[in-house]
Amino acid sequence: MAKYKRQFYPGTTSPAKNRRMYMDPKQKLKQLRDVPMDDVVRIMGHRNPGEDYKSIHPPIEEGNEPDCPIRQLVAPIEGAKKGDRLRYIQFADSVYFAPISPYQRAWMYLSRYRGLDTGTLSGRQIIEMRERDLEKLAKELIDNETFDPALTGIRGATVHGHACRLDENGLMFDAWQRYVWDPQAKEVVYVKDQVALPLDKKISVGKPGDRKDLMKRTTIFRADGVDMRDDKEVTKYGLRIHKLRTLGGFQPFKVKGV
Amino acid sequence: MSGAESIEAKYTGVALPEVRITTERMMSADTTEMILNALSVVDSIRQITVTGESLPATVNSGPNKGIANNHTERKTIKFKDQEIVLRYLVGDIFIELFSEDEEMLKKSVDQIGKICEETLPFGFTIDVGRYSKYRPTLRDYRGV
Repeated sequence: MAKYKRQFYPGTTSPAKNRRMYMDPKQKLKQLRDVPMDDVVRIMGHRNPGEDYKSIHPPIEEGNEPDCPIRQLVAPIEGAKKGDRLRYIQFADSVYFAPISPYQRAWMYLSRYRGLDTGTLSGRQIIEMRERDLEKLAKELIDNETFDPALTGIRGATVHGHACRLDENGLMFDAWQRYVWDPQAKEVVYVKDQVALPLDKKISVGKPGDRKDLMKRTTIFRADGVDMRDDKEVTKYGLRIHKLRTLGGFQPFKVKGV
Repeated sequence: MSGAESIEAKYTGVALPEVRITTERMMSADTTEMILNALSVVDSIRQITVTGESLPATVNSGPNKGIANNHTERKTIKFKDQEIVLRYLVGDIFIELFSEDEEMLKKSVDQIGKICEETLPFGFTIDVGRYSKYRPTLRDYRGV
């Protein structure tokens, strides 16, 4: 029997290739910016930079854990070893060619990282994780190519805006205006944390990507970009799942050779 | 159904058509002020309604609920000699027009289109129709 080779996503168009690339843990994602870790901590707003991590249980090394085969099987992540709290970060992605969209975020997170829980909604994607591991992951996700300063928002609540028209500066709508356009530096600057508490200092997350570049980087199929129907394999895959789900819940005996 | 037809004819043919302007980008408060003042010179306009995305005065959910929102686009704009607190990031403008015939309607729409071209660099679409309620419907007879 041939050795199993993991597959990620069908298709030959650029959004399909990008989906594969983001999901494949062997592919290293490009780092486009370097936001200092203390600033990432400030934007998340769970603790002050330099403050100790609060814990919800004693360190695992103290040996108070019950004897359990699953505990022996699964190596704990650093935050779990230390008993950190679970904290979250949430990204909202605009439909106007954001580099990635929430559903692919879930695929990517679960394919690439350990020890997190994620939830998908139409315009946003939450990650819940042990605090110190979350901070590292959040920095990675803000710094790499899945983040665009104008089209990706870091929003804990009132995330509305992913399907709204952009504003005059090309930023995704945010009712709480957590980030603003700096016309001098031509950069996006965070002025509030993810739950709208004003920050003591402004935090720049860099320049937005240009439209042409974003259209190449995105995972979003759009009629004014790459139409999903132009990718035969993706269409076939979508239709197959649709057919299987429909028949599976309705006339399962008809699921033959689909 | 002569009753319904006559009502239709009343608004599509002659009285009170509406123009809907949908902007490609949500407008800043300054642009909104500029376009409203530019539109104020059109004689056939009966009323202008603007709408868009709501900008709350205070943070309305989450752990900081109740603190001031301080959105830079939620501010007072000047329309002719009136001061109006803008509660939206405006993206749609509905203009109700007085028009006696098709020719007058076309003239007004052309004039509005020209103003939009001058004030909206990011582009817009303009449609003519009737987009708001103009007559009582069943819901209005429901009682309390």
